[in-house]
Amino acid sequence: MKFLTLFGILFLIIQGGSLYSEIVVEDVPNDAGEALMITWDLPDDVGNISMYRIYRLDPGAEDYILVGKVENPNVNVFVDHDPRYPLHAGTEFVYKIVPVDFSQNEVESLGTSLAVSPVAQLFNFNKVNSLIATLFVFAALIFFLNYAKTGKGLFIRKIAGLDALDEAVGRATEMGKPVLYVPGLSTMSDVATIASINILGPVAKKVAEYETKILVPNRDPIVYTIVHEVVKESYLEAGRPDAFDTDQVFFVSQQQFAFVAAVNGLMMREKPATNLFLGMFWAESLLMAETGNITGAIQIAGTDSVTQLPFFITACDYTLIGEELYAASAYLSRDPILVGSVKAQDLEKAIILFLMIACSIISLIAVLAFNTYAFNQVISAIFSF
Amino acid sequence: MAHAYTPGLKVTARTVLRKERRLPLKGKVMVSEIGTKVKAEQIVARTELPGNVLPLNLAGKLGCDARDVKGNLKVKIGDKIAKHQLIAETKGLLGLFKSSVRSPLDGSLESVSDITGQAILREPPQPVETDAYIEGKVVEIIPDEGVIIETVCTFIQGIFGIGGEIRGEIYPVVEQPDQELTVELLNEDCRDKIVIGGSFCTAPVLEKAVQVGARAVVVGGIDDEDLKNFLGYDVGVAITGNEQMGITLVVTEGFGKIPMANKTFRLLQEKKGYYASVNGATQIRAGVMRPEVIITLEEDQSMKTTGSAESGMMEVGTPVRIIREPYFGELGKVAELPPHPMKIETEAKTRVVKVKLDDGKEVLLPRANVELIEE
Amino acid sequence: MKPKEQIKNILATDCGSTTTKAILIQYDPEAGRYRLIVRGEAPTTVEAPFEDVTIGVLNSVKEVEELTHREILQQDKIIKESSENRGVDIYISTSSAGGGLQMMVAGVVMNMTAESAERAALGAGSIVMDAIATNDKRMPHERIERIRNLRPDMILLSGGIDGGTIKHVTELAEIIAAADPKPRFGSTYKLPVIYAGNKDAREPVKERLEGKTDLFIVDNLRPVLERENLQPARDKIHDLFMEHVMAQAPGYKKLMSWADVDIMPTPGAVGLLIETVAKQEDIEVVGVDIGGATTDVFSVFKDRTEEEEKPVFNRTVSANLGMSYSISNVMAEAGLDNILRWVPFTMEEKDLRNRIRNKMIRPTTIPQSLQELKVEQAIAREALRLAFVQHKQMAVGLKGIQQERTIADAFEQVSTGETLVNLMNLNMLIGSGGVLSHAPRRAQAALMMIDAFLPQGITMLAVDSIFMMPHLGVLSKVHPQAATEVFDNDCLIRLGHCIAPVEKKRRKGGEHCFTLKIENRDELKIAWGELKLIPLGEGEKVKATIIPERHYDVGDGYGKSITITLEGGVVGLVVDARGRNPFSLPSKLEERINKLEQWNKALNIYPEKE
Repeated sequence: MKFLTLFGILFLIIQGGSLYSEIVVEDVPNDAGEALMITWDLPDDVGNISMYRIYRLDPGAEDYILVGKVENPNVNVFVDHDPRYPLHAGTEFVYKIVPVDFSQNEVESLGTSLAVSPVAQLFNFNKVNSLIATLFVFAALIFFLNYAKTGKGLFIRKIAGLDALDEAVGRATEMGKPVLYVPGLSTMSDVATIASINILGPVAKKVAEYETKILVPNRDPIVYTIVHEVVKESYLEAGRPDAFDTDQVFFVSQQQFAFVAAVNGLMMREKPATNLFLGMFWAESLLMAETGNITGAIQIAGTDSVTQLPFFITACDYTLIGEELYAASAYLSRDPILVGSVKAQDLEKAIILFLMIACSIISLIAVLAFNTYAFNQVISAIFSF
Repeated sequence: MAHAYTPGLKVTARTVLRKERRLPLKGKVMVSEIGTKVKAEQIVARTELPGNVLPLNLAGKLGCDARDVKGNLKVKIGDKIAKHQLIAETKGLLGLFKSSVRSPLDGSLESVSDITGQAILREPPQPVETDAYIEGKVVEIIPDEGVIIETVCTFIQGIFGIGGEIRGEIYPVVEQPDQELTVELLNEDCRDKIVIGGSFCTAPVLEKAVQVGARAVVVGGIDDEDLKNFLGYDVGVAITGNEQMGITLVVTEGFGKIPMANKTFRLLQEKKGYYASVNGATQIRAGVMRPEVIITLEEDQSMKTTGSAESGMMEVGTPVRIIREPYFGELGKVAELPPHPMKIETEAKTRVVKVKLDDGKEVLLPRANVELIEE
Repeated sequence: MKPKEQIKNILATDCGSTTTKAILIQYDPEAGRYRLIVRGEAPTTVEAPFEDVTIGVLNSVKEVEELTHREILQQDKIIKESSENRGVDIYISTSSAGGGLQMMVAGVVMNMTAESAERAALGAGSIVMDAIATNDKRMPHERIERIRNLRPDMILLSGGIDGGTIKHVTELAEIIAAADPKPRFGSTYKLPVIYAGNKDAREPVKERLEGKTDLFIVDNLRPVLERENLQPARDKIHDLFMEHVMAQAPGYKKLMSWADVDIMPTPGAVGLLIETVAKQEDIEVVGVDIGGATTDVFSVFKDRTEEEEKPVFNRTVSANLGMSYSISNVMAEAGLDNILRWVPFTMEEKDLRNRIRNKMIRPTTIPQSLQELKVEQAIAREALRLAFVQHKQMAVGLKGIQQERTIADAFEQVSTGETLVNLMNLNMLIGSGGVLSHAPRRAQAALMMIDAFLPQGITMLAVDSIFMMPHLGVLSKVHPQAATEVFDNDCLIRLGHCIAPVEKKRRKGGEHCFTLKIENRDELKIAWGELKLIPLGEGEKVKATIIPERHYDVGDGYGKSITITLEGGVVGLVVDARGRNPFSLPSKLEERINKLEQWNKALNIYPEKE
C-alpha cells in the first residue's frame, strides 16, 4: 500500500511537473507549522475557469480532501490554514489544484505537488513590532514606577470632580443627609464598574471619618456583594467599624428601569445631599441626574459611555470624562504604583497618537507623490499589532 | 531729658523675692500657717486633675438606636466602673443574640448621649503636686490654690533658657567670665550640680553635661546653630521651659560668644557650693518671663538688700552693654546723651547715646541698643 | 454722645501690647475737613507694676496736651465738653493689650462651617488658636485635651446648616462640655461659648453647655451652605470681648466708662476701616500690619464666581510671624535660605542665626548699621510673604455649593472654594507696622511690599504713616466722614503706582516687554527683568497708555494695551518687569547680589556708602 502511494506520488510529480504546470508548496514562515502556501502557474485558458479547488492528500489517507478554493481565476496563491483541516508540523502533504469551469464542472487537474511538510518556527518575525512595543510599554512603566517611588511627585492634571469628593461628603455631613453612590448598572466585567468600586473605597472611608451615612443601591448581585465588602472594609480602615450599617448597601432590582424608579424614589424621599453616579450608565443617566438636580444635591458623575456624557455634564456639578474615571484611584490615593502606571499609559498614548498623525501625513504624501505600495507596507506593519 | 528707660535684667546679690506657687486648678494647700518655713522640694499644694476622657460609641457597639442606649445601660451614670466590667447590654431576642459592651478602662461613666449614642468614660483623676521650688517662708496662702513664698536670695536673670525648674549646687568650672566652657572641663564631679561656664558653650558640651549628669548649665552665650543641634529643632516662638532634654540651660547674655557679665560671674563664683533653684523657662512677649538662678541666702536681717538694675536710669558715666550689631556684646560707659533725635547710618532718626567703649573708642548708638549693667 | 454734626474734636487711643498711642483729630473749618492734629505715645501699663491700662492712656493723652497746649484732662479724667482750647467731643479707643482676643472655633466640617466660624472669629479681630471639626483627624479625647491646654478666652461653636445635622453639633458640644474649659483670666467667671449653628440643634446644645459654660445663642453663621451670615456672630464676639475678656483685664472697666463707643480689638478696627474704604471707593484692597509678634492681613476682593460681584472681606492673623518676638519663627518657617536670598551681601548662616535670635531676646533694639537694616528688611519680606500665603489659603470662596453647568463646561469644570485673592484686580496695597511705616526711606517700604506680595498689573502702594488705622476704624463707626477724610489725607501715604506685567511663561532677560506712553512725556520701552523708577510726585496724576507685547498682561489680557490714569507718590511710579510667573532670583550667589544691588540702586533705596 505504501509502495503504491509512493509510486503514485512520484508519478504525479512527474506528470504535473512535465505536462501541465508547476505546483509549488512552501512553508509559511513565522508560524507554529500550521500553514502551507501553494502557488501554481496559471493555465493558458484562464477565460474558461471560474475558480480553483485545492485538494490535499494527508499522510495515511486514501483520498484527497477539499481544503479550499480560490474564486478568482487570475489568482494563483493559496494559503492552507484552515482549523477544520489542520496541518501538523513535520508531516508531509501533497496538493492538487483542480480548476472549475463556469458550469461548475471540474476540469482536469493542474497536477499535484511534491510532498512538503510545514515547519514550526521559534520566532515570529512578523511580530517584532509588537515585541518592541511591549518592551517599550514595560520600560515606560518601570521607569515611571521607580520615578514615582523616589517621591519626586509626578504631575497629574487637576481633576475638579475628584477634588470635589471631599467637599461632597462634607456637604452631606453639614446637611445631615446621606451620600448616594450608584456604582453603575453594569456587571463586574465592565471596566467602568471596577473603576467605580475603586473610587467607592476612599469615598466610603471619608464618609466613615465624617460619621455620616452612605447609600449604595445595586443592580447586579455580584457587584452588590463586592460593594458591600468594599464599604465595610473602608469603615474598618477609617477606624469606625462600629458605624457600619449593613443596610446601607442594598440590592434593588436587575430590571433597568425598576432600578431607576427605585433610585429616583430614594432621591425624592431621602433627599441625599450628594449623589455620585460613577460607572456604566445607559438611558437612565439623565433620568437620575435630573432628579438629583431637582432635589438640590451636589452631583458628581463619571462614565466612559460616550453617549451619556453630555447628559451628565449638563445635569451634574462635576463629571469625570472617560479616562478620568480610570485614573481616579491613582489620583485619589497618589500611590506610586498607580500614579506611575497612569503616567506610563499617558506616554504610550501620546506616542500612538503621534504615530497615527505622522503616518497619516506620510501616507498622504505617498498618495500624492510616490508609489503607495511600499508605504502601505510600512504603515500596515506598524499597525499590525 | 538726660535719662532714658532701657530694659535690663535683674542681677542682684541680695534681694527679697516672692514666688507664687499655684496649682493649675483648685485643690488643697498643704501649708496651713503663714510664716511656715519650706524647703525647695517640699510639696506645698496638691490637687487631682480630672482624668482623661474616652468617648465610646455605645449605639454602634450595641447595634441599637442612640435613644435606646440609656435603657440598655447596666451601670448608672456617675458610677465607678472597672476595666472589663459590663456596662451595657441589649435585651436581645428572648434572651438570645445579646450584644454587650465592656469597659475599656478603670474610671467612671460620666455621661451618655441619646442623640449621638456616645458614652463618655473618665479615667481616674491624676494627682498634681506643686513644690515650693525655692527655700523660704510662706507669706501668703491663696486658699485652695497655692502659696506665696518669700526668700532672701541672690537673684540672677538670664536672657534666654531652655528646660524647666531644677535645683542643685552651684559649681563654677571656669576661672574667668570670658573663658569658654569646654568638654574637658566637665567630669563626674558635675553630677547633680549647676555648672557655671564662661562666655560660650557648644552642643557637644551640653551633651557632655547631660552625660555627666549635670542639672543645669549657666553660660554667657551660645550659638543658635549649637542650640538647634542640641535640641534637634529650631526654636520658633520664644516660649520655652517644656523641653525634655535632661538639663536646664540659662544663657545670661545672648547668642554668640559673649563673656558673662562680670557681676553675674562674680556672684555665681562667690556662691560656689550654695544650693540654688534654676528655671530655664523663657517667654518673650506679653507677660515676659526670663530664665533665673535663685540662690537662697542665710537669713540675716541686719544686711540690707541691694537695689536692682531693672528699669534704671541712664546718665553720663553709667556702664552699659551694647546689645546689637555692629558692636554687639561690647561694654562701655555713657559719654554723652544728646537730647534730640539724630540721624544714624540707616538714615532713621532716633534718640541716640554716645558710648565710650572699654578700648577708648567713642561710638554713637541708638539708645534702644544699649542696656544698663552693674559693675 | 453728641450728634454727629457737633463733633469737632476727637480723641482716640489704641492700647497696644507695648505702647499706647493717642491721636487728636479736629475739624479744620478753613480746609473744610477733619485733620489729624497731633499724636502722643506712652508705654502700655497693663502689666505689673502698674496693672491699670488707664495710666498709659492718660500718659499718652498728656503728651497730646503738651504738644497742642489744649486742656483735655482734668483730674485724670477726659473733659467731654469742648470749647476753643479745652476738652474733646468724643473719646474712642481700641485695644490689643494682653495678647488680644484668643479664641477657639468648632464646626462640623473643617472647610465648611469650621472655616466660616474661623472667618467670623478672625473678622472680629481675634486670634484663632485652633479649629475643631469632625474631620480634623483627631480622636475625641485629643480634641478635649487640646481645648483644655489652650484655655481660650472664648469658643465659637457652629456647625450644620439650618435643618442640617444635629448629631455632629451635639457631639461637638459634648466635647466642649467634657473638656470643661476654664478661661485664661481668673476663675471667677464661666467661659463664654457662642453657638452659631443649626437652629434645630439649639436645644441639645443648650442642654449640654448651659450651666457648664456661659452660653450665648446667635443666628446660624452658615444658614445654608451657599451663604454665610457672619455678622451676628461677629457682633456677639465684640460684645463678649467687652463684657468678659476686657472687663477682666486691669483698668479696663474704667477705660470702658470713659469711651463713648465700645472699645474694639485693634485688628477688628483696622479691618473695619479697610472694609469701609474699599466699599466707599469701590476698590479691591489688601492691607497688612506687621507687628512684633503677629502679622495681620486684611483684604477686600470681589467674588466673581457669582453673577453679581460682591466684595468679600477677609482677615487673617499669622500669630507667629512678626519682627521681634516672633522673628525666630519667621526664620523657622521660611528657612534661612529664603531670608538670605534677599540679603545683598555675603553673610554666614551662623551669623544670621545669632543676629535673629538676639533680636528675639532683645526685641526693642533697632538696626543701627546699613547692613543690619538690610538684614531686617530681608526678614520682613519673608514674614510678609508667609503671612500673605496664609491669607490666600483662608480668603477663599465657599465650599460645598451646588453649581450649574452647561455643556461648555465639559473640559473646564471649575471647583468651588478657590482663593479670592486675585492680584491682577488689586487696586491698593496698604502696609503698616514698624518695619514698613518707619522704614528710613519710603522706597524701602515700597520694594519690601512689592517683593513680598508680588502685585500684578497696576497697583497703588501706600503705607500707614503713624499707625492710626485702628483709631480711624473705630471712628468710622461713629463718624465715617471724619474717618475717611483723615485716612485719605493724613494717615495714608501714597508711595505711587506699581506697574507689573505678568508673562505667560518665563521669558529671556532683556526682551522687550511693554511700552509706556505717558502724556507729554517721551515714550518708554521696558525690557523684561527690569525694575525702574519713574519720577512722579505726590498727588500728580497722568494719563498713560501701556502697550504690552504678545506674551505679557498688564490687566486686560495678554498683549492687550490699556489706557489709565497713573498716580505718583512719595516714591514715584515703580515699573516692575522682573517677572511673576514665577518671580525668581538667580540661584548663584554673585549673580544674585548683583541683581539685588541693581534693583536697590534703581529705586535708590539705600544711601550710597563711601
